[in-house]
Amino acid sequence: MSNKVAIIASNGGLFDAYKVFNIATAAAASDKEVAIFFTFEGLNLIHKQGMNALPMPAGAEHFAEGFAKANVPAIPQLVEMAQELGVKFIACQMTMDVMGLTVEDFVDGIEVGGAVTFLEFAKDAAPSLTF
Amino acid sequence: MSIKADFQLDAKGLSCPMPIVKTKKAMAELVDGQILEVSATDKGSKADIAAWAESVGHQYIGTVEEDAVLKHYIRKCAQESANEKTFESTIELEQIVGRDGLILDVREEAEFAFGHIEGAKSIPMGELEGRLSELDKEREIYVICRTGTRSDLAAQKLVANGFTKVYNVLPGMTSWTGELIKTI
Repeated sequence: MSNKVAIIASNGGLFDAYKVFNIATAAAASDKEVAIFFTFEGLNLIHKQGMNALPMPAGAEHFAEGFAKANVPAIPQLVEMAQELGVKFIACQMTMDVMGLTVEDFVDGIEVGGAVTFLEFAKDAAPSLTF
Repeated sequence: MSIKADFQLDAKGLSCPMPIVKTKKAMAELVDGQILEVSATDKGSKADIAAWAESVGHQYIGTVEEDAVLKHYIRKCAQESANEKTFESTIELEQIVGRDGLILDVREEAEFAFGHIEGAKSIPMGELEGRLSELDKEREIYVICRTGTRSDLAAQKLVANGFTKVYNVLPGMTSWTGELIKTI
């Protein structure tokens, strides 16, 4: 059985962030080796400022109350927890270049790599997930 | 009734995946064989904790619900638990039914509470030495646990203390298909 979980985060909304980080932390807590490849809008999820104000999907703003009521942890908190559990963050170099971002724009402890960096990790991962 | 646990974790009010993350961290503090009680209000935690324990190799004992709080019980298991059994006098699980001896269940109290054979007496392995006086040396004793490992050690301990009619029940409660008595 594979002990790796590979995740691609390519969208930058609040719902996307929860999908990515909930699965990632749950997998890491189950002793899986987890890597997330952040690409295109997915880079928002680990952007120092961006991750504090991720947008809700249009028309879903009323869920804000539900999030508060369910005592769901804030995204920065989940990011910190994921890293503490050993989840590896890989930011996509190409997207960073396109968007004019540098490693300083992101939370500490990330790696920067290209598609091959992720593919190398993901080649024997099961499951591989895309959000 | 309250169930005995070695450690308590309060995960009430937390939503997925926090109960699992906290459980993982808490489990690191336990030594092998100890029991963790996780209190949670996340209804998904019941399925999640059981799946998590299965995935990482710990024993999920069961869950009780009290006033909308779910209490999960997990026993920490070593990764390499294929211990050799050395006690020679053994008896098969099917053969103890209807036999005139005492079924001595040496699993932890929580495990016993979530399901045991009718009439079995509970003395957890760790308490056996101090409770030998509760046992009758003239009567056959069938020592049982979950898989036959703890009961192997318990049987040896009984013999070392002068008991002669001692049998280790194999395989153990994991293979029991008869009725289970619960005290929860």
